[in-house]
Amino acid sequence: MNGFNLHRAYSIARKEVMHILRDPFTLALALGLPVMLVTFFGYAIDYEVKGITLAVSDQDGGPAARRLKEMFSSSGYFLPVEAVPGSGPVAMLDSGRASAALFIEPEFSKKIMGGGAVQAQFVLDGSDNAKGAAVVGYLPGIQRAAQARLAGQALREPFSFETRFLYNPELNSRWFTVPGLAAIIIGLLAILLTALTVAREWENGSMELLLSTPVRPLEIMVGKLAPYGALVLAGVFFVYLVARLVFGVPFAGSHLLYLAACLLFITAALSQGLFISVVTRQQQVAMQLGMITGLLPSMLLSGFIFPVESMPKFFQYFTMILPPRWFMAAARGITLKGADLGELAVPFLALGLLSAGMLALALIKFKTDLE
Amino acid sequence: MNAAPALEVKRLSIKFGDFTAVDDVSFAVNQGEIFGFLGANGAGKTTTIRMLCGLLTPTSGSALVGGLGFGDGGLGIKKIVGYMSQKFTLYNDLTVGENLDFAAGLRKLAPAFAKKRRHELFELIGFNKPLSSKVSQLPGGIKQELALAAAMLHDPEIIFLDEPTSGVAPASRARFWGLIRRITGLGKTVIVTTHYMDEAEQCGRIALMRTGRLIALGSPEELKRSAFPGPMAELDFKGAEPKPFISALEKAAGLLELSPHGMRWHAAFADKAAMDAALAGLPPSAAAALIQPSLEDVFIRLVEGAER
Repeated sequence: MNGFNLHRAYSIARKEVMHILRDPFTLALALGLPVMLVTFFGYAIDYEVKGITLAVSDQDGGPAARRLKEMFSSSGYFLPVEAVPGSGPVAMLDSGRASAALFIEPEFSKKIMGGGAVQAQFVLDGSDNAKGAAVVGYLPGIQRAAQARLAGQALREPFSFETRFLYNPELNSRWFTVPGLAAIIIGLLAILLTALTVAREWENGSMELLLSTPVRPLEIMVGKLAPYGALVLAGVFFVYLVARLVFGVPFAGSHLLYLAACLLFITAALSQGLFISVVTRQQQVAMQLGMITGLLPSMLLSGFIFPVESMPKFFQYFTMILPPRWFMAAARGITLKGADLGELAVPFLALGLLSAGMLALALIKFKTDLE
Repeated sequence: MNAAPALEVKRLSIKFGDFTAVDDVSFAVNQGEIFGFLGANGAGKTTTIRMLCGLLTPTSGSALVGGLGFGDGGLGIKKIVGYMSQKFTLYNDLTVGENLDFAAGLRKLAPAFAKKRRHELFELIGFNKPLSSKVSQLPGGIKQELALAAAMLHDPEIIFLDEPTSGVAPASRARFWGLIRRITGLGKTVIVTTHYMDEAEQCGRIALMRTGRLIALGSPEELKRSAFPGPMAELDFKGAEPKPFISALEKAAGLLELSPHGMRWHAAFADKAAMDAALAGLPPSAAAALIQPSLEDVFIRLVEGAER
């Protein structure tokens, strides 16, 4: 009448591995999803907007105007072109030959020399608001830099404005997204696959057969979940390799700490999958619930795409109960900033608590439902 | 060992919320017996079996399965009984060998013992395909036999079969029952649920269940005798209009049971005198023949009759 028996858990795990190896859907999902995500987020989706054609209408022609244009071109984001006389910058925007336009008023340089206020108008094609938002984001930097350079030249350059982004100096969006893909892979795969596999045992009645043997609920749970934990970890490792070798994403922190964060999040995700399967007991429903509760929080509410800080207040609090948010914080902190456990105490503590809570919830629900 | 019953159930009940699924059931099963549960869907057959396998804990009452009770949450019982559920047989995507290895692993059987049992059971069920056969490619009857082998791999003394032949072709059903008889011939006890009357006829004793209660218990012959103490006639109207006679017969004194069987009618009476009196007015073209009641008649009288 002893407790947990490793042999029985191993028997279940081995059977599960055979199921996985023979189920094309599981295999395709487990292997295909990481490849697909890396391709999507690594190559196709690029939040940066570069090479924006900037039609310039320079009615001044003075040195300050020239300098302002240089500011734009040297930022690396803009390609200034002189507007063709006759057809103004607006016409270029209309025809799509330019995405933005810069108007410099007459006597721009002269006014600056005299110390007066000057204005330059920036016009942006707003039909693509994602692109527009990115471009608007570049403007304050350029404006501040220009202010410093143009106004300060008479003085002895009191402050030369220089923006430096820490951790990701080029603001390379791949550095930002690819490490976060681990959250999507764990969140979706671990939840979906375990929800499906345990629901399948309920649905075809084999759970009953398992329970008619001396096997314990905890042994079933460990045996069923361990192979998927390993599978998901393999997916995370694959993303890590691609991130490092293909995209050259730096890894500043401790690998061990990263692994710990992954394992905590995997535990929470597997538990969530188990919980779903116990509640639904049907593969169809489990799949839908797994998709929704697995993908959406990881994708939209974790800070993967949309920063938590810019969410409405309610969501900023709501995301606190979502493990992916804390995993994302820990993963980015470790990979990009090289943060240690002390600096990541909050995400790790939250992740640990949520994982333990999820595991306990799933185990209790699982055990009581069996009895 | 032989003297003790394989199974001893006393006043067993289980409730799910307000619903009493099994209500105050008592019986004993002897070693080497084929003991059948007969009843409609929802009568409590499967629930009773699941309690006796240690899958459910009874609300009240007691049971000794192979001498063991529920004290340890059914764990001891699970070790000594074999169970085949009505829904699941074997994992379709695994091979025969993998399925049996899995069953052996769950019960921590020593590899040598599992191998020996596998050979014995393959011989018993006459399985001669390779171990590497995918279960999904085997016919339903053979799957069922293999599932029985998997349930018996640990050599249990008591085997519970929950509707083992549902969805199996008639020829395979007969084969499976031959197998059950061979198993009890080895001294094992088999407890089986069914809703096929011809299968129930093959049980040593039958427990008839209705809405959670055990309403009759005995061998098929005993059940027939107690349900129908008098004679039974089968009426064949041979094209004549049966309605006027049947409605008169329904009011006849001494009629125990009247039920349609296809084009014919079965009428049971308290004694021969009552039968002769009631059948006197039978239309000339119709014929009455004295028949032995079948289990189906018993079922109709005891189960459906009580529901009217």
